Amino acid sequence: MSGLAEAAAQSETAFAEFVDALASDPARREQLTDLLREDHPAYQQRGTATVVRMRGWILLALAKTALSDAALAFVLDELDTGIDPYLVAVAAHALRAYPRPLPAFAPFLVQALANVRYRDDPVALDEYGGYAIGARVTSPVVELLRTLAWLGPNARGSLAELEALASPEGGLPPKRRPELQCALAAMSADAAAGEPREESCCTLESGWADAFRRVIRVRRESESVKSVVFEDQNGASIRFDELFIGHPSIVVFFYTRCDNPLKCSLTVTKLARIQSLLAERGLADRIQTAAITYDPAYDLPNRLSAYGKNRGVRMDARNRMLRAVDGNERLRAHFALGVSFIESLVNRHRIEAYVLDREGRIAASFERVRWDEHEVVNRAVEVLHEGPAAFAGNDTGPSRRDRPSPSMLSEKAPDPSHASLGRRSASPLVATLASVGVAFFPKCPVCWAAYLSFFGIATLEQIPYAPWLLPLLAAAVLVNLLSVWLRARVSGRFGAFYLVAAGAAVIFASNLGIGSEAVAISGVGLTLAGSLLSTLDRVQVRRNRPDAYASEARPSAMRNV
Amino acid sequence: MATKRKVAKRPAAVRRHKRAARAAQSRKGGVKSGAAGRIRAMAQTPLAVCESDRKLQETLTTLRDQTQASSVRRAALQMLQAASFSTIAFEPCRGDYVAALRAVVDDPDAELRERALGILAREKDGFAQKKLLDGLQNPDKALVAPEKALQLLANDVHAEGYAIARAMVKNPPNPDAKREALRLLAADATAAPLFESVLRDKDELREIRQVAASALQALRPEKMRAHAREMLMDKSEYDDIQATSLTALTHFGGEAVAQDDALMKSVDRLSGAPSAKVKQSARRFLQKYGR
Repeated sequence: MSGLAEAAAQSETAFAEFVDALASDPARREQLTDLLREDHPAYQQRGTATVVRMRGWILLALAKTALSDAALAFVLDELDTGIDPYLVAVAAHALRAYPRPLPAFAPFLVQALANVRYRDDPVALDEYGGYAIGARVTSPVVELLRTLAWLGPNARGSLAELEALASPEGGLPPKRRPELQCALAAMSADAAAGEPREESCCTLESGWADAFRRVIRVRRESESVKSVVFEDQNGASIRFDELFIGHPSIVVFFYTRCDNPLKCSLTVTKLARIQSLLAERGLADRIQTAAITYDPAYDLPNRLSAYGKNRGVRMDARNRMLRAVDGNERLRAHFALGVSFIESLVNRHRIEAYVLDREGRIAASFERVRWDEHEVVNRAVEVLHEGPAAFAGNDTGPSRRDRPSPSMLSEKAPDPSHASLGRRSASPLVATLASVGVAFFPKCPVCWAAYLSFFGIATLEQIPYAPWLLPLLAAAVLVNLLSVWLRARVSGRFGAFYLVAAGAAVIFASNLGIGSEAVAISGVGLTLAGSLLSTLDRVQVRRNRPDAYASEARPSAMRNV
Repeated sequence: MATKRKVAKRPAAVRRHKRAARAAQSRKGGVKSGAAGRIRAMAQTPLAVCESDRKLQETLTTLRDQTQASSVRRAALQMLQAASFSTIAFEPCRGDYVAALRAVVDDPDAELRERALGILAREKDGFAQKKLLDGLQNPDKALVAPEKALQLLANDVHAEGYAIARAMVKNPPNPDAKREALRLLAADATAAPLFESVLRDKDELREIRQVAASALQALRPEKMRAHAREMLMDKSEYDDIQATSLTALTHFGGEAVAQDDALMKSVDRLSGAPSAKVKQSARRFLQKYGR
């Protein structure tokens, strides 16, 4: 790292030489991937164009041998959201260095074509900087089409999208027709000739999908950022703990001067969509949202407000656009934000959205490639349903999300829906037994006489009588009532709660001597029916929304083409 | 009321340089009879370059060809520039156009290279930015005057010009360069203290102080309001600076200004000032705040 820091402080020429040296040394080659981290010191106080040149050279160095899985995440990120012609061309070129062509790459390439079709600038891949003037030039569209041709039949799933782009209205430059024909021919080639794969065109292998999103099992306490002070779009001050503790939150990062429409502008627009989804589910007052600027010195409240308003963001006490006015460094460290600066201005950043739990801890992150609003909302709803003690733990430091790899799967939390399945099934049974216990607990000499006549004098010793049992069973009935009420709030269906409440009232009334034993039995019946209905309601709600992970393997590139 | 003020004036060296450049251009690029026809043809049908690749390549060749008359080359550039406004029609030509512009940024024709750099800089082209920065760091490599380089770099807030601009403010080669350096720094939120000191410096040029005022308003409006108030209360402040302060407070003052009796008294006084500009601004201010 110290070597990298030294190189970072040197000129671009020295940096390029350093990269070349790393590329030629197999023992240190892996350091190149680390250099691609957006928050790497090498990018500090450099202009965006310089950062582009540096990152391009690193990707080209990585492409000299087989591209690793760790580096692949950066390549796919560039294809998904990059708009710089040079970097997109380099990323497309580098992808061909991956050991095998995979169908999952095709949507990213088609997305990149859509992104840069009107910026098909000449680039040179054989010299640092890539500014082409002479004859030995290529272009992002050329490189993307060549990579699609490399994918061959593996990219067949994206054939329709490419054909749409190839039409006169599609916007692909006519002079790229030879490369286009070549790509289309390769993609349409006989499957048998081109080693087609069984996997879906739109599915990233699970390890890579998880490189872009994580569910965090061992959560780092938010102690270090609790005192961070924010100012919102109205100029009101609020501390991190005042805002984020008590409710799950969805947090995105952005800055108003970002000139990549596929990053900050789209992120904030999608936050508005998230707000709509939460409102549709009746969760707007239970899950809050926040957009925090990377550039608090420039993004003053009036700018935050205008930026949010122009993108349809709802702004109120639970939904705020924020800038950190005290503790911004701590905030960046806590979230391990992928961002670099020149002066106070961002020069490079990745896409990042987070779900915070009710303790303000990071429960899930969505990074780099464009995330799906439903997926983020689903994850937030899961966090909402977690018990208060769920995921307790204290990670020791900022997590390194910058080197994604398939091993990240191991950090994935157990699916809460499975974990709680047993609990949910047991719940109506326990509640009913408690109701029965309360209803038929012997309370007077007449009850004792009745039970004796029923069981016979010989069984008297077997009757499990304990005076403390009655209040315990009564408490269980009340706990069940509370639990059903909580479920009803989430599902928005209160029928089950009314049934259980009526059942409890009837049972307690019969205990007080109001009504007959038949009334007590009807109370038990109401409790049982209500508890079962409550469980069914919850299952129904889960079925009605897409599962949080059912869609995660689908690259956003495909969704957006 | 101050009667003297400092006004930006181009140094003699700059004026001499411009005169010499004009003379050289007229010698080299004088319109000859054959060239005039070509220029007219190019001006009349700018979109012709998009009609065929041959036509495009011809125009690009003319632009690059240093043996051609400067006026013809400039007309070729103008034709390409005009065509580039037809985004869809021009799109297929864009790559070659960018390459040609990059090729002429170090052309001997100063006007041509300035225009090429300008087009590329507005596109936030990294190649042009690097050339401009290299020229600012090493004047021997400069392709355009430092003030022009700073002005072009300011097209991209993400460019790397902040450190150089700070150095230029401290040690400017000419007043224009200092003004452009300040304009560039207006995108850097950490530069607010610099703008405050420039704004309060009565020895500074009026134009430069106005740039500082406008930058401070964008970066720290509350600070600008405070300074504007002080400058309005200061009887020795220059007329045009007071007019600027009045305009700032009229548009961005808010409720606090309306409650400020001392300020109102000063503005009342200014509404009868000899300067028409100050008088008019003061009246607008009083009209807004209901006095």
